[in-house]
Amino acid sequence: MFKLLYKELRLAAHPNLFIFTLLGAVVIVPAYPYGMVFIFGCLGPFITFMYGRETNDIYYTALLPLKKKDTVKAKCLMMVAAQIGQLLISLPFAFLRAGLLPGGNPAGIEANVAYYGFGFMVYTVFNVIFLTQFFKTAHKVGASFLKAIVPAVIGVVIMEVIVHLPGFEWLDSIELDQMLRQLPILVVGVVLYISGMLFTYHTAAKRFEQVDL
Amino acid sequence: MNILAVNGLTKHYPKFRLQDITFTLKWGRIMGLIGKNGAGKTTTLKSLLNLVRPDRGYVEMFGQDFHRNEKQCKQKIGVVLGGVDFYMHKKLSDITAVTKRFYPNWDERAYQRYLDTFELDPTKRVKELSAGMRVKYMIALALSHHAELLIFDEPTSGLDPVSRDDLLHLFRQLVKTGERSILFSTHITSDLDKCADDIAYIKDGTLLKSAEKFEFVQSFQHLRRPDEKGELTLEEIMIRTERSSYDV
Repeated sequence: MFKLLYKELRLAAHPNLFIFTLLGAVVIVPAYPYGMVFIFGCLGPFITFMYGRETNDIYYTALLPLKKKDTVKAKCLMMVAAQIGQLLISLPFAFLRAGLLPGGNPAGIEANVAYYGFGFMVYTVFNVIFLTQFFKTAHKVGASFLKAIVPAVIGVVIMEVIVHLPGFEWLDSIELDQMLRQLPILVVGVVLYISGMLFTYHTAAKRFEQVDL
Repeated sequence: MNILAVNGLTKHYPKFRLQDITFTLKWGRIMGLIGKNGAGKTTTLKSLLNLVRPDRGYVEMFGQDFHRNEKQCKQKIGVVLGGVDFYMHKKLSDITAVTKRFYPNWDERAYQRYLDTFELDPTKRVKELSAGMRVKYMIALALSHHAELLIFDEPTSGLDPVSRDDLLHLFRQLVKTGERSILFSTHITSDLDKCADDIAYIKDGTLLKSAEKFEFVQSFQHLRRPDEKGELTLEEIMIRTERSSYDV
């Protein structure tokens, strides 16, 4: 597993994957729609898949002493590493922001517990659609991305808008008692992300078995 | 003993059909897979490596069913696909650093020796290498994990005559101990004259003949015209077999 991830990060990853992952830090910006972080977390892997098509990454992996489904596993690992890495990078900045700028984010949702829960959900939607569509052909990156990013963006817009609606103010809070109330959203997000990635891996691997390289 | 046995390999596409390809390759020998462009050479190689999913057929490699023992078999092979260059902007040292992790029997001393022998600079990027040097780099990687079967798809395509001769000479060197075999596809008949022990000829997705080179050439001598005295060359055999007549 670590060999596959090492291969992804050292050979397959486009430099933008690392840049977009580091952009988890933008939750320190005083007024910014933090939902953009999740869009960056989808864009980074997308660019790497485009880059992989140009560098014949799939052929290289398919010729290594691995099973065909390990090619899919490598891509799933890369996406999980980038997205979880991005959220982990954002965490200290979210704490820092709460301490330095207690006034709140006027542009959208705060970087709170609900925000991370929604993030996992957005990533799940994107990953499930993008990977299962891509591995139908192993070369149609653009079409797979379009199918996946539209619902992911809708998810982000809903998250950003809902906190402005009456009755949902608690989702925008960084008060401890309110964040405890938000905890189920995070739990649901994490459960969806894990089960979604397992489903994605099995479905995409099954589809990739049928693909002629 | 056979290092590779391909039995009844069949793959149907909407507009092309690879039909019942059967041949064997023995240890210590070089087999040239010949055919004109689009005959099915690459599809054959990809099908036997499971890159293309065959409809039917059985591939035995090192005495094992390849499809059931894909990981183990791939530990002992080296493959160069025609026109497929990996990671053009990466340094050779980066590609090697990743590749060697997948081979438990990686031999670093041997790798360094092959780099010196082939005059490969590990700090160079793939795009900075000539086509011949790229093939040599792939050979260096394969030999460093002690690959016993080398499979090349049109390795001499696009090479100048000197580089081509150099590569074919290297092929002969690689099999001389009898511990390795090479299967390579080509549409250049002089490659076969220079280095092949066996020839498999594919035409329109069907294997016309697979035999030891002398026997192969003899089996096509019926194509000689009555007034011709000399033996037909491999090039003549291929041209006469493939010749089209156009009614224009």
